[in-house]
Amino acid sequence: MTSVTVTNKEIASKQLGIMLLALIGLLFAGGLAISNLMTAGHAAFNTDNLGLFWGFPIVIYDYFLLTSTGLAMVASMALIFGGEDYRPIIRRALWLALAGLLGGVAVLMMELGHPLRALWAIPFSFAFSSPLYWKVMAVSFYVLSLVILQARMMKPDWQTQDLRINAMVTLALALAVTAIAGVVYGSQSFRPFWASGDIPVAFIFESLLGGLAFIIFFTYLAYAFNPAAVPASVKKLFNDRLTNLLALAIFIHLLFVLARMSSGLYGNAEGLQVWQTLATSRLFFAEIFIGLLLPLVLLVNPRTRIRPWAQILAALLVMNALLIARYEYIIGGQLVPLFKGAWAPPLLNYAPSPTEWLLLLVAIFLSNAVNAFGEMTLRLGREG
Amino acid sequence: MAKWGMVIDLDTCTGCQACTTACAMENNRLPGENWQDVLFYHEGTYPNVKLMWFPRPCMHCENPSCVSVCPTKATYKDPDGGFVLMDYNKCIGCKYCQVACPYGVRFYVDEKAVVQPDIRGVFPSEAGRQWDPPYKGPQDDPSRGIGIQPHGVVSKCTFCYHKVSKAPKGVADLDEDIPELKEYVPACVRVCAPKARFFGDLDQPQSMVNKLIADKRGVRLKDETGNKPQVYYLSGGATASVPSLRSMNDSGQS
Repeated sequence: MTSVTVTNKEIASKQLGIMLLALIGLLFAGGLAISNLMTAGHAAFNTDNLGLFWGFPIVIYDYFLLTSTGLAMVASMALIFGGEDYRPIIRRALWLALAGLLGGVAVLMMELGHPLRALWAIPFSFAFSSPLYWKVMAVSFYVLSLVILQARMMKPDWQTQDLRINAMVTLALALAVTAIAGVVYGSQSFRPFWASGDIPVAFIFESLLGGLAFIIFFTYLAYAFNPAAVPASVKKLFNDRLTNLLALAIFIHLLFVLARMSSGLYGNAEGLQVWQTLATSRLFFAEIFIGLLLPLVLLVNPRTRIRPWAQILAALLVMNALLIARYEYIIGGQLVPLFKGAWAPPLLNYAPSPTEWLLLLVAIFLSNAVNAFGEMTLRLGREG
Repeated sequence: MAKWGMVIDLDTCTGCQACTTACAMENNRLPGENWQDVLFYHEGTYPNVKLMWFPRPCMHCENPSCVSVCPTKATYKDPDGGFVLMDYNKCIGCKYCQVACPYGVRFYVDEKAVVQPDIRGVFPSEAGRQWDPPYKGPQDDPSRGIGIQPHGVVSKCTFCYHKVSKAPKGVADLDEDIPELKEYVPACVRVCAPKARFFGDLDQPQSMVNKLIADKRGVRLKDETGNKPQVYYLSGGATASVPSLRSMNDSGQS
């Protein structure tokens, strides 16, 4: 008992360390990014008017947003369906969903031309025909629902009807946000790289995959990657349930990616030629073999799947693979220039600028600082 | 209420770029960021190569996807005239309209300069606008996307709303050859030396634009998108043709 208490103190001090480190990083990356944006403006990004309008900041925003909804889906489903085994991760997943969303939205605000105007112009426009209008409205209610659910779970009794209803609302909103995010891209019929009716469904599976990977990684991080400090209930949950679910989610995501790739390689609609380049790129190979297949092997192999290092590694690789997938999807859909004649190359060249990379750091540091704060103050591992 | 439309005769167009220049002067466009452009591309492979060109303004679509997707209604379809316009006061710079436009005719104002030196730095603005050129058009209406753009918004061709909207009511065609109407003709149409451009009311059956579309089988660019452009192209097929693809790559495909 004494040793556990000592370990908990050590862990608390490590969380403080993580938070301080994240805050220092946020100050550095955020300061530098803001300085670049103040001096160079939007030209600090490598986007252009030839066809590449949404760059890395939008990739980061959507990545963090969909991870957040994935975490909320995992937590709310556990509450709705009464999975007792899932209790140790519910509050952590909900808090992490808020922290991740905050990081993503912060980056979006730095990308928009008029972020403050967006706060009133979107809600009061009643632009019902726009998927982005519905996305923003859904995100707003989703945040509200997350906060209410998190606040409710500060109380001990987790088996009441009101909590279940709250979780249902959160789940519905998380699904709505994710599906609408898919519609934003999937509805662009003249961009066959994006357009597909199943994109919202693919996004939901990707969200779930991200949610599972993040909860595994950040639960271990909460215990400073010290398996001895991880409670038995968490270990049991990971070994019996989450690793299987993560493996299944990886498999489904792989199917979606490979199906899109096959259709893309055989299709001849304008825009699908991006697949010829993409499918032979190192980034794509890294995503498929290192980011998805390697974790899948680690998680289905009986000898490795219960090892904490394998679970942490698998989660980390999946987190990176999803970022690559989001990048390839969003950027890939814009690589064919739009009626720019011989002035533009057949496929546009794009690589994130230093400022755009800084925005990724901003999102990571901000989310980690908020998450570590929650770990320190809210006892996120509490099981009821 | 009129529904203004443009007809561009590709058999007559010489690709001289006078339209591009006139538009740039009229609307204070930045070098290289042309609301109205003539795109050049190759067709065929060596030794059978042809240099082709294709004039491309905003299509001012009847069913514009850019308007549908705008989350703040900053871009809108003017019911009186059918113009697709921008309200700079509502635009948040999310660029969804750029993403949703199949024709690439929208421009985010704060991107890197296409042509160096960046003329915005040579003539900086102190009034929160993008730049302060020595000559500015006399019109300034941010709610319709007319005048020098502020920062952080998307801009586009207005079909010279500031001229066309003042035309006498009920006019079927705005023809630069009619002295009393020439001031209302869009800049790109007015300067077209080979008279490859025609501008008129698509809702009036007797208008020249409707006759040309009917007689010479006018077609619309990428009609399969469902956007229903109000710009029509005429092509006998002997010279330039309407490209079917948006990317014009160096292997000769258009």
